[in-house]
Amino acid sequence: MKRREFLKKSGAALCMITAMPEIAFSKGLLKSPVTTNRLRPPGAVPEEIFAGKCIRCGRCVEVCPYRSIRLLDIRAGIFTGTPIIAAEEVPCYLCMKCVLICPTGTLRRISQEQTRMGMAVVNRHRCYTWEGSIICRTCFDVCPYKGSAIILDELRPIIKGDHCVGCGICTHACPVTAEDGSKAINIEPIYSRETVQWK
Amino acid sequence: MVQTRRDFLKRTAALSAASYLGILLPFKDVGNALAADETTWHRGSCRLCGTGCRLELGVKSGLPVALRGVPQSRTNMGYLCMKGMHFWKLMNHADRLTTPLYRAKKSDKFKKISWDEAMNIAADKFASAVKEHGNNSVAYYGSGQALTEETYLFQKIFRGGLQTNNVEGNPRLCMASAVGGYMTSFGADEPIGGYADIEKADCFFIIGSNMAEAHPVIFRRVMRRKLDNPKVTVINADPRISLTSRIADIHLQFNPGTDLALLNALAYVIIDEKLHNEQFINDYVTFKKSKGDTIDFEEYKKSLVDYTPEKAATIMGGKVTADQIREVARKFATSKGTLSMWTMGLNQRKQGVWANNLVHNLHILTGQLLKEGADSLSLTGQPNACGGVREGGGLCHILPGHRPVEKEAMRNQVEEAWGIPKGRIPAEPGLHTMAMFSAVNEGKIKAMWINCTSPAQSLPNCNKYNKGLAKDDTFVVCTDIFPTLTTELAANLVLPTAFHFEKTGVYGCTERRSQITRKAINPPKGAKPEVEIVRDWATLLAKKLNDPVIDQCIKPFIGLEPEYALPKAIWEEYSQKLTKGRDSDLSGAPYEVLEGMYDGVQWPAPTVEYAKTGGTVKKFVRGMDPLAEKLKTDDKPYQFYGAGHPDHKLWVWMRPQANPEEMPDADYPFYLSTGRIIDHWHTMSMTGRIPELLRANPYSYIEINPKDATRLGIKPGDMIEITSRRGTNIMPAKVYEGPIEGMVFAYWHDQHPDRMINKVTMDAIDPGSKEPEFKICACKIKKVSGPQALKPYVV
Repeated sequence: MKRREFLKKSGAALCMITAMPEIAFSKGLLKSPVTTNRLRPPGAVPEEIFAGKCIRCGRCVEVCPYRSIRLLDIRAGIFTGTPIIAAEEVPCYLCMKCVLICPTGTLRRISQEQTRMGMAVVNRHRCYTWEGSIICRTCFDVCPYKGSAIILDELRPIIKGDHCVGCGICTHACPVTAEDGSKAINIEPIYSRETVQWK
Repeated sequence: MVQTRRDFLKRTAALSAASYLGILLPFKDVGNALAADETTWHRGSCRLCGTGCRLELGVKSGLPVALRGVPQSRTNMGYLCMKGMHFWKLMNHADRLTTPLYRAKKSDKFKKISWDEAMNIAADKFASAVKEHGNNSVAYYGSGQALTEETYLFQKIFRGGLQTNNVEGNPRLCMASAVGGYMTSFGADEPIGGYADIEKADCFFIIGSNMAEAHPVIFRRVMRRKLDNPKVTVINADPRISLTSRIADIHLQFNPGTDLALLNALAYVIIDEKLHNEQFINDYVTFKKSKGDTIDFEEYKKSLVDYTPEKAATIMGGKVTADQIREVARKFATSKGTLSMWTMGLNQRKQGVWANNLVHNLHILTGQLLKEGADSLSLTGQPNACGGVREGGGLCHILPGHRPVEKEAMRNQVEEAWGIPKGRIPAEPGLHTMAMFSAVNEGKIKAMWINCTSPAQSLPNCNKYNKGLAKDDTFVVCTDIFPTLTTELAANLVLPTAFHFEKTGVYGCTERRSQITRKAINPPKGAKPEVEIVRDWATLLAKKLNDPVIDQCIKPFIGLEPEYALPKAIWEEYSQKLTKGRDSDLSGAPYEVLEGMYDGVQWPAPTVEYAKTGGTVKKFVRGMDPLAEKLKTDDKPYQFYGAGHPDHKLWVWMRPQANPEEMPDADYPFYLSTGRIIDHWHTMSMTGRIPELLRANPYSYIEINPKDATRLGIKPGDMIEITSRRGTNIMPAKVYEGPIEGMVFAYWHDQHPDRMINKVTMDAIDPGSKEPEFKICACKIKKVSGPQALKPYVV
């Protein structure tokens, strides 16, 4: 292959990829791994710039006493090596050690209450208490901000978005597990989709 | 490995053929066959707490698949909690014991043996202990979770057959003080009313109970009442702000152990502001200083001067104001119906009986008793502590049918019913729980049968008693469905038993209600119902001791099939011969009647027709209680026929404030209290094996007030060492505005040696009820490290 030919072909390929973004994203190379119950550690910058800011040093993984944080492997495309928390497996217990150790500010130095890893959402068609006559209160019991982030209305859990930090402790504890592995209360990483305000 | 081309091809061919066949195997059809089977629903009671929820077990192709509530039931109205919904998962659990296990020495490993060998060993050991060391060298330690038939049969063999009153059970650790309270205040054990009062009450006084965790289904009823009627007042008195406090209008937070002052102060205000019911007091009340010492109202009133609201507020630690005490007293006395509820907070105390008496005092003084919505209701912890142990004769000092051991006439009635010679049952009450395990420590008990409970974890100051249990001086037989800390530490012989719904029997819940659970599925192969085990063991015992009286004890039960006919015969004997004519009369409630009920029957229920209506909702009220009419002594509407009070009156007791056994001091500056959490049951041998429940609360933690935590530099999740004069625990901290300043709180379910809080708790006992003071002791806390990842631990 001649140099000219090679450049031509790669140029064409690049054009095709940018022309059809959904193909590139669906291939997963550029797709953010942050989805329902897959969360960044506390204080993470928005996904838009996360992959660029994180230097994949793995210190947050080392410091996490509960082994909540794991590194993404090669299947995550450009996000390989970045930290992730699988809320239903090991949630974040908000010890806030990772935000102190992050050398790049990818995890910003915030307090427990300021953490916004996502927001818990109750699936009222799946939750025992919402559905019928089973008195379950597990999510409320385990919530570190019970009374403010989660309240009980006649024993039924209701999430208060202003206070929910999205740690996933409720998701982990929830006794309902659907066939797809999700729970009756799941964390939606709504804050990771924010766009960065460049000044 | 060398492989020729030919080999490779052959193997490949074989593998392809096998996988092709594998695909063709009818795995899918198995699933289809299961799906085609109908789910049948079998009614029964919940296996866990003392609420007495009725539920149905779904069975499909002989396997349990689900549990659901019974909406027609008068206890739970169809509601269940998470424990109740999930316990079917234990029935086919991989950890179930299925063969008898034996070891000659407790340091050895268990060997599997046959049932014949096991029964022989058990009979041999008990027979030789009786022959060599006397009748009181053997003991039975049972459970408030055993069926009534089981407790009854065990105590019959021990008392009638082996001639010892060393018959105890773990209810000594949970409701013995409530028994003492009811006996001394009302003259008869068990509550006058029941849950039906919840929907009629206008004021709830909840003290020493975290019913939101321990009795979630009753809590729902209280909450429903409060939500439907916002004017209903809920008062919660507890040193710890708990989830129950969420629905409280007034929360009284006092230093642990000062509630006697609070209760006396409430009585003071009631009398001082003339809120007491004079007519009721004149008609039905006697005032007592001590058992033989009757006093008058004026003297009682004088004894309360030390408990003005101001003085009491000071004793209680200053967080409660005198005005709050006055307000609570007024609400208590003037509401249309006041319902008090309590559990271990009052019972597990050195002054347990006194605390119970003082709550009853308030109800008696104000006449908040016997009418709609008013009652003094002690909630039971275990599903059959009332039915099996209190009524069935499962404690060392009571025979079946609420008969005290020390009364000869009572013993003779029982001996006659059993057809055994008079004088066979010894006159001396046996060893109570703590004395029994002290005797084990001293090597005085040579053979012991532990049924359906795990004292190695549930006794207070368990380090001390586990030393004795681990020694080879005492031969221990354990009957259980799972390995527990007790089977591991103490047992020489472990016998696998059938679980709930794998056998038939009756549970009696808090409100005097007896409810049947019929066998719905087969136990795992190798496990047997306890009644069958006891019968077979007693047959051998009779031979080895050459004692025809033991044969006589089991004669009515010989040859009956153990799944239904045997428990039915035992219930028949118990209800027809031993409860008939007693206050706990269940002679109108044979199996046929109980099976026909959605819920069950509340005693007294002397006739079948009456039992079919559900029995007695309120005791002592003429027109509601058939015995009140039958045993009436005058024309008044209430008749207190309880055997404990010869004067047929209610007794108000003078009970001063007294400190717990151990108070915080400079070395051990914190109060330690223990309690429960909604997802777990007792020693976690069951709930720890249900992943859904374990995940929510995998291990215990210690709750610390944020002010104390700041002072000691403790952050959430830090590992904390809790030390008392008896033992040490290390568990993570939960900084939480729950316990009052100067107090820490831990859950007692965790089996891990580092987090077993009963190593730290106190074994001082109430002199009356002999119930230990689990709830209060002094401890110190120290941070040992930052957060650590912990693993749940189940034996």
